[in-house]
Amino acid sequence: MLKPSFNDLLKSSFKSILKNKSRTILTSLGIIIGVTSVILLTSIGNGLKKYVTDQFDSLGANSIFISPGRVFNDNGGFSQSGAIMTTSFSLKDVTNLKRKLNDVEITPANAVFADISSSFNTQKTIEIDGSTQNFGVNNNLAPSEGNGRWFTEEENSKKTPVIILGYQLAQDLFPNSSAIGKKVIVKGKSLKVIGISDKKGASFGGPSFDKQAYIPINVAFDLAGNNDIQSIIVKAKNKDSIESTKKQITKIMLEKYDEDAFSVFDSSQLLNSINSIISVLTIALTGIAAISLVVGGIGIMNIMLVSVTERTREIGLRKAIGAYPRAILIQFLIEAVILSCIGGATGILLGYLGTLGIKSFFPAQVTASSVILAFGVSSLVGIIFGVAPARKASKLSPIEALRYE
Amino acid sequence: MTKSLSINNRNVVLELKNITKTYITGTNSFNALDNVSLKIYEGEFMSITGPSGSGKSTLMHIIGLLDNPTSGEVILNGRNIAKLKEHQLAQIRNVTLGFVFQQFNLLTKTSSLDNVMLPLLYSDVPKKNRQDIALELLNKVNLTEKISNTPSQLSGGQQQRVAIARALVNNPKIILADEPTGNLDSKSGIEIMKLFHQLNEEEGRTIVFVTHDMDLAKQAGRTVVIKDGKILEK
Repeated sequence: MLKPSFNDLLKSSFKSILKNKSRTILTSLGIIIGVTSVILLTSIGNGLKKYVTDQFDSLGANSIFISPGRVFNDNGGFSQSGAIMTTSFSLKDVTNLKRKLNDVEITPANAVFADISSSFNTQKTIEIDGSTQNFGVNNNLAPSEGNGRWFTEEENSKKTPVIILGYQLAQDLFPNSSAIGKKVIVKGKSLKVIGISDKKGASFGGPSFDKQAYIPINVAFDLAGNNDIQSIIVKAKNKDSIESTKKQITKIMLEKYDEDAFSVFDSSQLLNSINSIISVLTIALTGIAAISLVVGGIGIMNIMLVSVTERTREIGLRKAIGAYPRAILIQFLIEAVILSCIGGATGILLGYLGTLGIKSFFPAQVTASSVILAFGVSSLVGIIFGVAPARKASKLSPIEALRYE
Repeated sequence: MTKSLSINNRNVVLELKNITKTYITGTNSFNALDNVSLKIYEGEFMSITGPSGSGKSTLMHIIGLLDNPTSGEVILNGRNIAKLKEHQLAQIRNVTLGFVFQQFNLLTKTSSLDNVMLPLLYSDVPKKNRQDIALELLNKVNLTEKISNTPSQLSGGQQQRVAIARALVNNPKIILADEPTGNLDSKSGIEIMKLFHQLNEEEGRTIVFVTHDMDLAKQAGRTVVIKDGKILEK
């Protein structure tokens, strides 16, 4: 019954689309913009998620963090007062935990923010983390071979003035030579560089491990002028013991501190919280981008309606010489779908290129699902918004269509 | 007398029986065609003429199966077409009728060859034969050198010749032409009429053309004069 075969109609639609290049570009533009923004925004969301996950992985597995204040609220999100550190811990807490917990490694940590000077220049307000000898290995910060070493237990207990520089910091302080063995000055105190951490990669926003420095915690106490500990990291024996260890720690800490004065959490909990925020953000942004896809679809419908009017005589002629209504319907529908597919494909390409561009300064990653989603939605939009004009065209009476001026 | 006798001996290809076409605008109704009966014989060259608004275009549309009468019967090759569905009518138009219009109605930005091949898209003609058929017809209307030109690159007379080639492409029995010379200068008009005569005499095709020009109408073997929806003279 279908006289012009699907192939013939496809060919004829392609010819008509190619003959009207400016119309084609204008029509596809809405879809192109919609698909591009959907892909870009989901790429950024996904890239962000992957970035955060990678950063957490580099913090070390099976780590449990004890920090002052309430970090999480009851729903698992971040607590509003989380950032305010009302209390700090002391070395007594660390020894207390060490005595009561078995089979774990406990690392206290504090942070001093200070300027670091080398004989070449000064780096302003650098985060200098004070900790113990196992902090380096547990957090993948220990220098690899050829780049010096982490400090020892003896150096910590004897307050030996040594320092390990982050990869970037070492280059900034000593642009033309190796930093190892050189002296740096922090708060008037001279420290010897004994190691350089491995490069941790590009970062955005928050502090980068590459721009930090690490010193024995006893040296940090002297620099800070007090013996406060801002966080305690407990490395559980394995993944399965994380939950029970967390419970034990909470019990021990409750003996001394108020419920709201400290938080015990592991990296997966933190990761889940951050990821849920990023997910909501990504969905919201994608939703906004999807609106432009719908607007693009309405654009296609408008142009197709105009095109039906503009081509009224052509439709009348086709009907007069033997096109039955469905042949006209299918032809217009195919044209609408081709236009949205061209728009969709161009949008995917632009979205991909855009993602490559963004990647150089912001984490972004194109996912197959976003491409499939964008392409599916754009062809669906083409069909849905193509139907109305196509139906209108197929119902035109041939005589009135031919008379149309 | 001899001519009308010979007509009576021929087969009737299309017959209109008591056709009335009424247009209703608001509360007024108006009969564009009023109880018109007409026989068209195989192989004849017939013209339909009359002043503007006389109903000659409406009559043409009913003959061309482009419009349905309000009452009356249209019988094509002995078959009453009243009960046919739209897609069946479309198929009959495609195979049995060839249309030539005053405004040519060629697809813009489309080559002569593709314009001529257009009706074949909706026909059973195998794809591999389509181009050859179109080329042969373009040769017949002396446009072999213009096959890849688009309508805007052709003169009015050339465009109408492309349109005639298109009307012939499915080898129809009847060619219907609505003011085919109306948009042409007199020289091109004469050429087009010559082409119609040639198609009638050499190939025996039935030609029906509508014109308001009495002199042109008289070139036909038979002239039907219509006024106020009624046939005055056959």
